[in-house]
Amino acid sequence: MRLTLEVWRQPDATSAGAFETYVVSDATAEMTLLELLDRLNDQLVEEGREPVAFESDCREGICGCCGVNVDGRPHGPQANTPSCEQHVRSFADGDHVVLEPLRSAAFPVLKDLVVDRSALDRVIQAGGHVAVDAGTAPDADSTRIDHATAEMALDFAACIGCGACVAACPNGSASLFTGAKLTHLASLPQTRAERGRRAVAMVDQMEHDFGPCSTYGECAVVCPAGIPLSAIAAVGKERMRAFLRGRAT
Amino acid sequence: MAVTGTVLVVFAVVHLVGNLKIFLGPEQLDGYAHWLHEDLLAPLVPHGWFIWIFRAVMLAALLAHVAAGVVLRRRARVARGPHRRQGLRGLRSFQARSMLVTGTVLLLFVVFHVLDITTGTRPAATDAFVPGEAYANIVSSFQRPAVAAFYVLAIGVLTLHLAHGLWSVVNDLGATGRRLRATGAAVAGVVGLLVLVGNLLIPVAVLTGVVA
Repeated sequence: MRLTLEVWRQPDATSAGAFETYVVSDATAEMTLLELLDRLNDQLVEEGREPVAFESDCREGICGCCGVNVDGRPHGPQANTPSCEQHVRSFADGDHVVLEPLRSAAFPVLKDLVVDRSALDRVIQAGGHVAVDAGTAPDADSTRIDHATAEMALDFAACIGCGACVAACPNGSASLFTGAKLTHLASLPQTRAERGRRAVAMVDQMEHDFGPCSTYGECAVVCPAGIPLSAIAAVGKERMRAFLRGRAT
Repeated sequence: MAVTGTVLVVFAVVHLVGNLKIFLGPEQLDGYAHWLHEDLLAPLVPHGWFIWIFRAVMLAALLAHVAAGVVLRRRARVARGPHRRQGLRGLRSFQARSMLVTGTVLLLFVVFHVLDITTGTRPAATDAFVPGEAYANIVSSFQRPAVAAFYVLAIGVLTLHLAHGLWSVVNDLGATGRRLRATGAAVAGVVGLLVLVGNLLIPVAVLTGVVA
């Protein structure tokens, strides 16, 4: 397969950056998007040119570092799939594919397709600690959690913090991310003591760096962890709960 | 945004229910209009006070809603940065993207509508405007094709704005449960459709001569 790639090249955080066009003529349908970039980089190195910088680690949708915009859409054409699991078979022979970093004012571009997602870490840091007894391992039945609750907490804990929700949002909102973290912790009894304080701190930090939610719903379409749209409602729910109760729990 | 929006939606629905009295004849509608102006909540508040309390609340809700919308859009632009999201398709994203545009059309319509039907200020109102005769004023207003067309446009825009707005209310006010969200989405759609169909009945009835 022959693909024309228009790739965002930016030498460092302070440079302006621009698109450059490359042709990969030996792409195959079973290649992932990242393998396509590997192939392009082989080509560039052979030509003595600077390879395209992009992030990748696990390449199995767990680490959350590989997000890039493909034709303006975070991760790529296939819904709820990370960049590392997007395949060249989504494109037709001769297609023109635009690759650029995840776009949001909160994610400054460091180099080429690599962005700084520290703004998401700051939301997590604002959440602070969870007070648990760190002594001997507790008895399995000492804190009872029913199966449905445990599954729900795990579903929301599946968020890998890739930042695609922010880049998908026309408002640059991190509501899906923050809502997933808040719901995951709020559903479990071990973290109740900090529930209110955590909601206030995380939502304040989120609003500092990210935009407001206008219910576009685009975040849930691209989320590789399949976080449901109800996470965005959890932001308002947890924040209002803290306000109405007026105390830390 | 969600709270003021809900107040405005409740008004739009009550306003529609009241206006459908136009199909019961001039006495019913004019009597209803008189009751709103003079007798509602009396003697809890003195005669004629309700309408002014009501107008103050509506104006406050409208101003707060517009201000919140402008602040929201500005925050969104700053947070998104110079590279806009592209390639969005579908009705939901069209509705969400156009909220500021549909809202502006609605604001202009509300100003026109108040000048036309409430204050009777010309040239928004017809020369036949008589204070208190709601039925005759509505009929003569809709007999102008341009006004009827603007009204139909505004109702279409209102439906788009209101359906997305109500769905946003469901999310902003923290409805996370599956059934509650499904109910909220259904209510948003049904209220949007009712407002569309109900409001369109009135100019259609006037233009076809059913109401004259």
